[in-house]
Amino acid sequence: MAKAEEIAVDPYEPYAVAAARVVRVRTQELFGHSEGVLDTSDIERVHDMRVATRRLRAVLEIFEPCFPKGDFKTALRDVKALADALGERRDPDVHIEDMEGFEAQVQATLRPGIDALVERLRSQQARGNDALAAALDHVRECDLHARLLSLADGAEELLE
Amino acid sequence: MKARRVKGLDPEAPLGDNAERIVRVRLDELTSFMPKAADPDEVVALHDMRIAAKRLRYILEVTGQVFGPYAENAVKLVKDLQDLLGEIHDCDVQLPEVAAFLEELVAADVAAAGASPKDLAKTPNRRTYAGLVALQVHLRARRRALFEEFLELWRDYERKGFAARLAFALSERSQSPE
Repeated sequence: MAKAEEIAVDPYEPYAVAAARVVRVRTQELFGHSEGVLDTSDIERVHDMRVATRRLRAVLEIFEPCFPKGDFKTALRDVKALADALGERRDPDVHIEDMEGFEAQVQATLRPGIDALVERLRSQQARGNDALAAALDHVRECDLHARLLSLADGAEELLE
Repeated sequence: MKARRVKGLDPEAPLGDNAERIVRVRLDELTSFMPKAADPDEVVALHDMRIAAKRLRYILEVTGQVFGPYAENAVKLVKDLQDLLGEIHDCDVQLPEVAAFLEELVAADVAAAGASPKDLAKTPNRRTYAGLVALQVHLRARRRALFEEFLELWRDYERKGFAARLAFALSERSQSPE
């Protein structure tokens, strides 16, 4: 799993100044993990992007009072939608991996049932991948990246 | 589970004071699930406690450094708790899914079979039952073991005064990084 960048914060700096810095870093991390997430042969990519989305969502919620209300609401909604789509792909990824691990440790007579389950999970994974592709298209179309950076600018402008 | 609203946050006030308000609420949220979540049948309380641990972890990851030293140690403790509750949750999600899938296969075989026991030798899913029942046994046993581990971990946190020490650390402020 990709480690989050450590962000130095000062207990005495204004809340809104920290908000701008932290949201910029977490936004860059999220978009830095967007490469190749639709590739089902490397499930760690989706995992890393999902974790980055969770971290970004968490900091948006932590610093909510520092952002312009309307922009915050729509940006958070879009981050949540992306997180849901990543989850839809990630959940079957994890179950397939677990089931394959389980199957490798049990006797042959038990395997047909696990194979049937894995086949079902693969269909869910394919549907999840389609949903994720659509969500990524939406993120591009609505320019979520720029809107998140603009939220950070808005936090700084609050103090001017 | 909806997060409790934190009152009195001020964008112009120091980060440390705002973060303290948030962490106190999130810590209280987490501890409020015990002793309810100590009942293995309280699936919803366990799930909500996991979400509360996740919220506390993320705020501490970002702001732990502004408080006393224990706040940064607490990040790992909360993460360990969240991971364990996450593994229990995975079992709670997978168990009904496996049961539903098995039921689907059985229903298809019921539709395919006739009145004679001999028909069971020809049903399309007959070879899948054993593996899925074994998986249910495994998931239930794993869930029970993880739950015991969770109780032991929480008892250990209580013995070591996790909540009180974190609450105290929140009243301290680290030095400004220069």
